[in-house]
Amino acid sequence: MATNAPKKDVVIVGLGWTGSILAMELCEEGLEVLALERGDDRDTVPDFKYPEVADELKYGVRYGFMQKPRNSTLTVRRTLEETALPYRMLGSFLPGDGVGGAGIHWNGHNWRPMVEELRLRSYVEESFGADIIPEDMTIQDWGVDYDELEPYFDRFEKVAGIAGQAGNINGKIVEGGNPFEAPRSGDFPMPPLPQTVDAMMFADAARKMGYHPFPRPAANASQAYTNPYGMQLGPCNFCGFCERFGCLNYSKSSPQTCVLAALKRKSNFSYKVNSEVLKVELAPDGKTATGVTYVTAEGEEVFQPADLVILAAYQLHNVHLMLLSGIGQPYDPATGEGVTGKNYAYQMNGGTSLFFKDIEFNPFVGAGSNGMVIDDFAINQIDFGKEGFIGGSYISSGTTNGQPIRSMRLPPGTPSWGTAWKQATKEWYGHSMSIGSHGSNMAYRDTYLDLDPTYKDRHGRPLMRMTFNWKPNDIRMTQFMKTKIEPIAESMSPDIMQSSYKSEGAMYDVRPYQTTHNVGGAIMGTDPKTSALNRYLQSWDVHNVFVMGATAFPQNLQYNPTGMVGGLAYWSANAIRKDYLPNPRPLV
Amino acid sequence: MSTRDHSTTRRGFLQSAAAGVAVSAMTHPAMAQKQPPVALEEYSPTYFTAEEWTFILAATARLIPSEGDGPGATETRVPVFIDLQLAGDFGNAADWYMEGPHVPDAPAQFGYQSPLTPAEVYRAGIAEFDEWCRQNHNAPFAELDAATQDAALTALQKGDIKLASTQGASFFGLLLQNTKEGYFADPLYGGNHGMAAWVHIGFPGARASYLEWVGIDKPYPLGPVSISGERA
Amino acid sequence: MKTLLKIIGLLVLLGLVAVAAIAFVPIRATPPQGQVAADFKPAEGQGEYAMRLADCAACHTAEGGKPFAGGRPIESPFGTIWSTNITPDPETGIGGYTLDEFRHVLYDGVRRDGAHLYPAMPYENYRMASEEDVRALYDYFMNGVEPVKSEVKKTALDFPFNQRWGIRVWDWVGLASPGFKPRYNNPVLNRGAYIVETLGHCGACHSPRTPIFAQDGTDGTSDGFLRGGEIAGWSAPDLRGAKSAPQLWSASQLKAYLASGRNNHSAVTGEMSLVVQDSLQYLTNEDLDAVVAYLRHIGDGDGGKEELPASGEKPAPDATTALLNSADPSMDLGPRLYLDNCGACHFTNGKGADGVFPELDGNSLVTADQVTGLLHVILNGSRLPSTRERPADLAMPGFGKRLSDEEVAALATFLRGAWSNKAGPVDTATVAANRSGS
Repeated sequence: MATNAPKKDVVIVGLGWTGSILAMELCEEGLEVLALERGDDRDTVPDFKYPEVADELKYGVRYGFMQKPRNSTLTVRRTLEETALPYRMLGSFLPGDGVGGAGIHWNGHNWRPMVEELRLRSYVEESFGADIIPEDMTIQDWGVDYDELEPYFDRFEKVAGIAGQAGNINGKIVEGGNPFEAPRSGDFPMPPLPQTVDAMMFADAARKMGYHPFPRPAANASQAYTNPYGMQLGPCNFCGFCERFGCLNYSKSSPQTCVLAALKRKSNFSYKVNSEVLKVELAPDGKTATGVTYVTAEGEEVFQPADLVILAAYQLHNVHLMLLSGIGQPYDPATGEGVTGKNYAYQMNGGTSLFFKDIEFNPFVGAGSNGMVIDDFAINQIDFGKEGFIGGSYISSGTTNGQPIRSMRLPPGTPSWGTAWKQATKEWYGHSMSIGSHGSNMAYRDTYLDLDPTYKDRHGRPLMRMTFNWKPNDIRMTQFMKTKIEPIAESMSPDIMQSSYKSEGAMYDVRPYQTTHNVGGAIMGTDPKTSALNRYLQSWDVHNVFVMGATAFPQNLQYNPTGMVGGLAYWSANAIRKDYLPNPRPLV
Repeated sequence: MSTRDHSTTRRGFLQSAAAGVAVSAMTHPAMAQKQPPVALEEYSPTYFTAEEWTFILAATARLIPSEGDGPGATETRVPVFIDLQLAGDFGNAADWYMEGPHVPDAPAQFGYQSPLTPAEVYRAGIAEFDEWCRQNHNAPFAELDAATQDAALTALQKGDIKLASTQGASFFGLLLQNTKEGYFADPLYGGNHGMAAWVHIGFPGARASYLEWVGIDKPYPLGPVSISGERA
Repeated sequence: MKTLLKIIGLLVLLGLVAVAAIAFVPIRATPPQGQVAADFKPAEGQGEYAMRLADCAACHTAEGGKPFAGGRPIESPFGTIWSTNITPDPETGIGGYTLDEFRHVLYDGVRRDGAHLYPAMPYENYRMASEEDVRALYDYFMNGVEPVKSEVKKTALDFPFNQRWGIRVWDWVGLASPGFKPRYNNPVLNRGAYIVETLGHCGACHSPRTPIFAQDGTDGTSDGFLRGGEIAGWSAPDLRGAKSAPQLWSASQLKAYLASGRNNHSAVTGEMSLVVQDSLQYLTNEDLDAVVAYLRHIGDGDGGKEELPASGEKPAPDATTALLNSADPSMDLGPRLYLDNCGACHFTNGKGADGVFPELDGNSLVTADQVTGLLHVILNGSRLPSTRERPADLAMPGFGKRLSDEEVAALATFLRGAWSNKAGPVDTATVAANRSGS
């Protein structure tokens, strides 16, 4: 039997980026806010402190900061016919764990979406005709426009302290920035980072081909910075231990560096760690939540009553909780009906490696978000009708790290062991670079999330089941990017080149790391029949439940999701503060 | 306000200073280095049996041989690394989801589906592979000549030798992965002795500070430092 | 040790000479300083604000303890003094104190039972506080603080310092006359002087001590006032010299340091962290401006100019920076250790980053004659207090685990001579002594 805790105004599930932002915003309203985090507490010192954090094996290879599958995982299958099997050890994606969540271990690529991406179905239908959309592709508009979100993207960029070069300020194209980006109301809070050798070489080559290189928008500080909460970042020192690591230098934007110390000063905020929410409890009529039930580290179950429940866990975990709690009708791929679990999508990436015998890249000189990018093949730059796919990619080059266990790039044909391998590690370490494409991924009728019929978690709850595979549309998109990247690479005259792009028939493989940009499953939209959340991230069915994160993406952007996630969090927080709290009800 | 690890008072300083002394006396590199490490042949494995240890010494010596430019697995004490890893969380699959039902023969793209922990995979894999060597070459792996050893490992890697006892797990894959980990990981874990593998490729280790080198295409000359402060 | 013996000798001598006088001269309580209406009631928050100015919490709230319940150890050259419970609990706190008794403690350092307080209680400074502030403080401690019933550890110094009557003799010799007398035509300077000299008790650490261990001057008219002192082996830097930080920094940088514990040059460490955490961050903007104006007024220089925005042009690297930038493997141990341990945040130019990572070039903690503070920070790290203006409790990790005594000595010696620093070397024995906390 669960014990009852004293009631709170707001309970927040998960204390990562969106949990800390919502806590901050709702504490401003004077509400009593409790955040429940199932992982450990984490702070720069002691948890990310130098030198202990500069440990490739512990954090880069053994995933020290990630969610342990033993504690929480899901099952995966590629088709409706397959039997899903557990994702037993981490590989393809790495959900975060503990206070700060994935916000501590990201690289910090912080993008805004394109105008067209937020109304993708309408854009495609208006520009190319509805008939180019494959029958099984279930893309949708987001229900919110870029212009409405712009102030909130701006807010998140100022809080997170993004370093970059604007390309479009209020419609005016700015030299050196991304000329294809959506208009922004002002410049980035910080100038761009300095660039590594590979990034500069790529930018030169791209420029010579008539493309428009610009510095990657970075959540790695380029100088000392103080954000609107008074929180501070120090300049990134290119330590080469960024992705998968907490930042040892207060340089990477994270809940720790940008929000938490300010939040912890608020007397109406409290948080509990090692407290895993098992279920959102609903009132008998199912129209409101009464609170959440969580389990403490000691195994005690506690019912936490609250007027407002914010799901701010990782995308996958938000959907899992909704399925377990009966929030929204579960999606059924056979009929296309139901909304919870619908439209899971991922990210379609590819890349070409370039080897240069005589160039020293010093790859250990790296920052998570260092790099130069071209957006000449972005979603709004491609004739979908002509090219035969819907989607786009940004193309970039930059160095995040030179850690030798996981970042030892060797030419094709090099033996994987023996004297020749050993010789190759000396010859080629620091003599290669890569150019990558980071692209959109559409949603399909049979890419979705539901509860697994067989496997259970440590609390006896069904694991969530992911059904996902690569589709011809997205494979055509990445093959198109290959035809654009290879000529750039060739123009740089490498000694050896190797490309890696998914080709026809590629099946999803959970083993190699691809990206932790899992999206969808409780998507936002304008119609309760086709979306789980309204345009304010409010559950259509249970109006005092708001769901943060990439859970709401109807399909994936061509960009890394955090900028969008942060913007949506502030957008939703504003709606809660201005509109919901004075009169709690369905906002649409 | 979190007050964890605050030490702004004199009292706190004294306490942490005292703790610092205690820890440093145990782990300080300068002190640790004074005693050369025990020879691999005399090392008492934590996880491996004597027979298994003999195999690991021989197998890693072929995966990263001593001959040629740069140190081998033996000089960098990779076998010690593997032994300690298997005795710890990694070997016990402490972080992995190990609940059944298991489908060991699932397509490889489903990832690890064996019911065995890595430590169990080594135990089963070494025994079965050594047995294969005995049957085909009349001696356990460690006693074969280098060329025969290489051929056997190649056959194992290519799947020409199938090990039923590892129940779907790739023994060779684990062995190769762990060997490279032991070669390149921080010396904290028992391998990469003297940071020799880092020196070999030019990786500066745990320095984690290079702002002044961004965009410079000259070779970075300074040797590595380890987490414990060892310099090379 | 020599100084200690000297002080002991002096005290014993003074004590013996004065024994007779003590027996016959009654203890007199200093009367109220200034007129306050009989029905005076402090404004809302006035008492708490005076408490913040006086930083009562720094000593009277133990780490992790209830507010003002005492029990915090205060190291003195004569032994550990345990702070008392000043909550309004009638038995174990000061609940039974009358206003006059309360004032007697603040002004004269004499308890209700007639016992003399050790001058760790800064009555040397508090005795100049206004009657209005005394009343406000009294009101706060009687009505605004939760009573806590808690006996604290009794202070038990060794002979002769356990003879509290000796303090009385010391008081006769060491105490200045009570009451604050405005000296300037400028109300801002007068306010600044009042805060710094009285409740703020800055001189308690930052003024040198006389041979009998009294503050060498308790106001700006004394040459010795705020010329630098020592606390628990740490240097409490000179605040008035032309080369001192408050005189070199611009007004806004000095203000930022006081309000948030950090500025473009430096960050608080050691005892000053508590001062910022418990006191200075709560000062009003006007009071901070007054303190800044006063400190600059009594300084020897003209006060630092406001900094212009950086031109974007990097100055040519000096010899230290050039050496560090080269990553030359033949460099000495000191600079090598800097690259391996310090450069990540403080960078090769030793300039750190504004408000986040302190400058080491020209840093008074680095170049102080007393190296205890520098060694403490290297060995154990340091953490900034979370403040209203700058909530991040930025922390430097300690390197005591990673570095041997020889290495710390080489590193500290390098730091003290790097860039424009010109301070002497640090030897291994000094590091060893600091590491063990002796």
